[in-house]
Amino acid sequence: MKKLVSLFLCLALLLSCAAFASAEEDVITLDVIICQYGPNTQDWFLGTGMDGSSFVEKFEAANPGIKLNLEVVSWNDVYTVVSTRISDHNAPDILNIDVFADYANEGLLLPVSDWCPEDLYADFFPSFIEQSRIGDTVWAVPDLASARALYYNVDILNEVGVEVPTTWAELEDVAQQIIDFYDGEIYPWGLDMTTDEGQAAFAYYTWGNGGGFVDAEGNWALNSDENVEAIEFAIGLVNKGYTNPSPATQTRYDLQDMFGAGKLAMVIGPNSIPSYMAQKGYTGINYATAGIPANAGKTSSSVGVMDRVMAFRDDSYPDQAKRNEAIGKFAKFFYDPANYVGWVSMEDFLPAVNSAVAELVAQNPSFEAWLNVLDSAQFYPTTKAEWADVKIGSINAEQQALIGGNVRELLDALQAQITGK
Amino acid sequence: MRTRGNTAGRVRTGLLLSLIAAALALMLLSLPLCEFTSSVYSKRLGNTKVGDEKYVTARSEAEAELARHIQETGRTAELREDVLERVNSKGVTTTMITLTVEEKQTRSGWAFMASGLTAGRELLLLAACVALSGVFLAVSVLRSPGKAPRQLSGMDKGLRGAACWLALAALIILPVFMLTCNVELIRRVSLGAAGLTDATATVSRIDRFLFEGKAGENALTMAAGMSLRRLWPLWALLPVLAALLCGAILVCRGSLGAQLARGALYLFVIVLCVLILYPYYVMLITAFRDNAESTDMNFLHLWPTRWLWGNLNAIVDRGVLQYLGNSILLAGGATAIALLCGIPAAYAMARMRFRGRNAYLGFIIMSQMFAPVVLLVGISTLMRNLGLNDSIPGLMLINAAFNQAFAVWLLHGTFRAISPEMEQAACIDGCGTVGALIRVLLPMAMPGVVTTLIFVFINAWNEYTISTVLISTPAKRPITVGITQFSSFNMIEWHLLFASALLATIPVVILFMCIEKHLVSGLTAGGVKG
Amino acid sequence: MDAIHYRRWWTPYLWLLPSVLLMLIFVVFPIGIVFRLSFSEISRAGVVGGFVGLDNFIAAVREAAFPTVMWNTLIWVVSVVGLSTLIGFVVALVLNSEFHGRKLARSIVVFPWATSLVVQASIWNYIIKAEYGNLNSLLLNTGLISHAVNWRSSYQVEFIWECGVGIFVTIPFVAFTVLAGLQSIDGAYYEAATVDGAGFWKKLRHVTLPLVRPSLTISTVLNIIYVFNSFPIIYTITKGAPAHKTDTMVTYLYMLAFYEQQKGPATAMSMIGFILLCVVAGLYMAATMRKEAQ
Repeated sequence: MKKLVSLFLCLALLLSCAAFASAEEDVITLDVIICQYGPNTQDWFLGTGMDGSSFVEKFEAANPGIKLNLEVVSWNDVYTVVSTRISDHNAPDILNIDVFADYANEGLLLPVSDWCPEDLYADFFPSFIEQSRIGDTVWAVPDLASARALYYNVDILNEVGVEVPTTWAELEDVAQQIIDFYDGEIYPWGLDMTTDEGQAAFAYYTWGNGGGFVDAEGNWALNSDENVEAIEFAIGLVNKGYTNPSPATQTRYDLQDMFGAGKLAMVIGPNSIPSYMAQKGYTGINYATAGIPANAGKTSSSVGVMDRVMAFRDDSYPDQAKRNEAIGKFAKFFYDPANYVGWVSMEDFLPAVNSAVAELVAQNPSFEAWLNVLDSAQFYPTTKAEWADVKIGSINAEQQALIGGNVRELLDALQAQITGK
Repeated sequence: MRTRGNTAGRVRTGLLLSLIAAALALMLLSLPLCEFTSSVYSKRLGNTKVGDEKYVTARSEAEAELARHIQETGRTAELREDVLERVNSKGVTTTMITLTVEEKQTRSGWAFMASGLTAGRELLLLAACVALSGVFLAVSVLRSPGKAPRQLSGMDKGLRGAACWLALAALIILPVFMLTCNVELIRRVSLGAAGLTDATATVSRIDRFLFEGKAGENALTMAAGMSLRRLWPLWALLPVLAALLCGAILVCRGSLGAQLARGALYLFVIVLCVLILYPYYVMLITAFRDNAESTDMNFLHLWPTRWLWGNLNAIVDRGVLQYLGNSILLAGGATAIALLCGIPAAYAMARMRFRGRNAYLGFIIMSQMFAPVVLLVGISTLMRNLGLNDSIPGLMLINAAFNQAFAVWLLHGTFRAISPEMEQAACIDGCGTVGALIRVLLPMAMPGVVTTLIFVFINAWNEYTISTVLISTPAKRPITVGITQFSSFNMIEWHLLFASALLATIPVVILFMCIEKHLVSGLTAGGVKG
Repeated sequence: MDAIHYRRWWTPYLWLLPSVLLMLIFVVFPIGIVFRLSFSEISRAGVVGGFVGLDNFIAAVREAAFPTVMWNTLIWVVSVVGLSTLIGFVVALVLNSEFHGRKLARSIVVFPWATSLVVQASIWNYIIKAEYGNLNSLLLNTGLISHAVNWRSSYQVEFIWECGVGIFVTIPFVAFTVLAGLQSIDGAYYEAATVDGAGFWKKLRHVTLPLVRPSLTISTVLNIIYVFNSFPIIYTITKGAPAHKTDTMVTYLYMLAFYEQQKGPATAMSMIGFILLCVVAGLYMAATMRKEAQ
């Protein structure tokens, strides 16, 4: 019987120890979730990647009274973590992710004006801030952006004797000639319709055909004739054998590796591709960038993608003003050029604040061209409440089309699903 | 039981079969085994038309090449022209033209052996095996005719055994030869032509072997465009060598069936082990490659070109040892809790009669039917209310609870399988129930306890989803969650991912191997009477 | 069999208490929460609302992908459990016979069991990549193929691969449970059968199978549960793409909950899965028990 009793004591002890672990006044602790952008993200925030120290250490040294409970989560798991914690009334204080409209519409977020210092707010690119505005309120601030362009292998195109395609018709010509010339050993065109980023493919083709997610008034127009034509064209590329073999499961990593190894002639990719090529050691490849091909008579449009930082509401915290101030201090410290420039250039994205531009351009002159591309780029309609559904729905429609579904019917169904509610 | 005469008859049949097979094999080797089609010259023209300037130049170039080749080598070759037509988006017809000058030749086994190629050496070895096997058999049978295998002297027994092994070796060498042909004559050369490996030595040998040393500088281009066709004598060798082996076994053992069944058993085990080890081989070699080589699209090497032990440093720098430590702590703790709760429960159910006993067993099985993934929200709420989120003890308790079913079920079975008499005796000696359990039953039930331990340990070690959600401090992450940092938005670092996986696998595999003996007997006790 | 006599009626319950407490707190309580959730409205971001009756269940069943997913689940469970039991049985028979290196072979067979599923799935995902996977590398470098093969040319093929990996990782479990059963068989049975002139197959059917059946039954029930709930293989290799054509119920409800933000239907789906599993496992156990009784 003694054994049993001691066993119980152990259990009880264990439980109680853990229960009373956290209780401290004065110090405010912020829960922060950051997404894992590159191999060094975690090291920069938590290890020794920031000049031998870490972001958290430096921040806590500079801001006594604020503790960071910062977590770097992989993109694969971040939605799971965040949504479980919201269901459990345990949302993080600060979150870095791509979507925000759902959180904002359900009243989970703090308006940016509540926590963001004014000088910092004025520093963001105004066009970026607009991408996080619903009605009159801005709910999140951008943390970084990427712009997309067409990358092509100069050597392959030269050897076949073709020019970079600017229209869809030319694209098909060039693709066929590459197939013929190399006996199908080299894929002409990279296409990513995976659950990772299939919505980007939807944007590349529909925007290149004058369509898109929304119409001129900003209403959902997923089943427009332009969109149907665009997606049919993209699926046609797959069916004619011009693309990588499995667009539904081959992610951008696969495409970038194929491109780097010279097995893929053209691919639409982000501005970070050059450093990807350098990091992976694809030195032998001779490539250049061009505009994304559009349908004849339509204008080519660049695609911009942006992630955000947002602050969650926590009504249980006694001193809201203090909490808002702490969040503001976090933002201030993060966007301080002394810290932010190093982070953006390490992750190889484009900045979201003016104060970082000069130094980044000085470091890497190609940034300027990319910033110009970004200026003219179109962004996803992330401010619309249904965007998260549209994102998943467009990928689903693409994948259905890949296995033989009728594009018109699929997009009609998607439009009905989104607007019918 | 077989008679002696019968056995002698079998030996004679076996010898005859073997000798005929050996002779046939040597004869087949002198027939043409492979046909090689090499393109002496090849040019592809994109975006052109038959008759235009580009085409005319290329065509005359190709014809000159053909003429030069015929003149220089004195062999026959032919010019092939493939035209691929299509209409482009502007309505213009363009064509893709391929001009190829081709030459065909066949080579016999003896030619291979004289070539100095690795494939040739293998064939030489094969011929030697066949010949020696035949000779050994003949000699041993002639030395002691009519004797049953069991009565043979050491010398003859050895000879016959050697003949058997040689025949087996020949049978194995044949497919190896076929594969080597492909690797050496096609793949290595085409990689060389693409500038990816150094194939100079091989090419000069191929030049001597196929083009009588006349290809000179063109040898690499000619060999690179080569295709290989295996002719029937090569395929015919397979059954012939199999017959040789069967004959040798007959002579050696006097019977065939048992030996072949045994061979099949070994074959099955070998194939099984190779299959199972394959992913580990992949993990191992990838773990020590560099980032670029982990996604090598030219498939250059079976082994890393350079073993990068630095990868281990890299993952240690990124906290893998800490994660590993957390995992050991987590799995160890979960196992301890599961056993501490499971043993008394199993004991009560095995030894005491009370209401609700079967109900509890059923309930325990039912509770297993929810995947932890499904219960994420519930577990997260619970743990926060208990103040146990973001703590390793919390994970221990969860893992212990989710493995309680297996633990109780298995221990219950184990205890029941052990006769209660010993404990009854102990009880009479005044040892008490708890004392009887600890001093008498547990030592006897050790295999079952060990099995449970392993099972819970492995499950806790492998758990991923709950830890992802519950643990928010990176320093408390178990290894399964820790390795997700190697697939970030920008890049998947396969080499580091697998290096960590390797590090995480080794301790468990070692644990398993040490304890494998207990595992089987433990499952016996629990499983059968369960 | 019950050997220990106790005086107070509650003694056995005291012995059970730690186990029961552990289960009640850490398993039953979360199940209860999820059960309540399945009848509640859950917002897209994850905020839990009021009672909505069977709405979530209706929504789950009406999802376009529901029939595909059910069908996939059936194929997944039947093929993985069926084939791994069959192959595992053969492996156990082989490992139970005498041969050189048996100890080594047994240790090797244990490997897949001792490696985490996430790792196994990642490795296989890497192996069958068409462009740089090790399978192509191996076959090319040994001369078995002359051109790289796309091992995942369609989603049907990818699903077959996933089932294959599932079988691969499940074989050791079955093999060792059966092996345990085999080792406990008294050699006298076989001797008796040999005297009766029974051959290999006859012995297998009339001696081995009946005696191994109990351990096979339990291992199969557990196997059905584990395989049904298995998540990392499919999630790592295809994530259910394209359009849920390779999803089973567990991966589908995960995607539904955390990608499509439909947590209500997802929890309802998990309840449906639980009920299905109860019915299947219950029926299987009842059927085998009856056979044994006969």
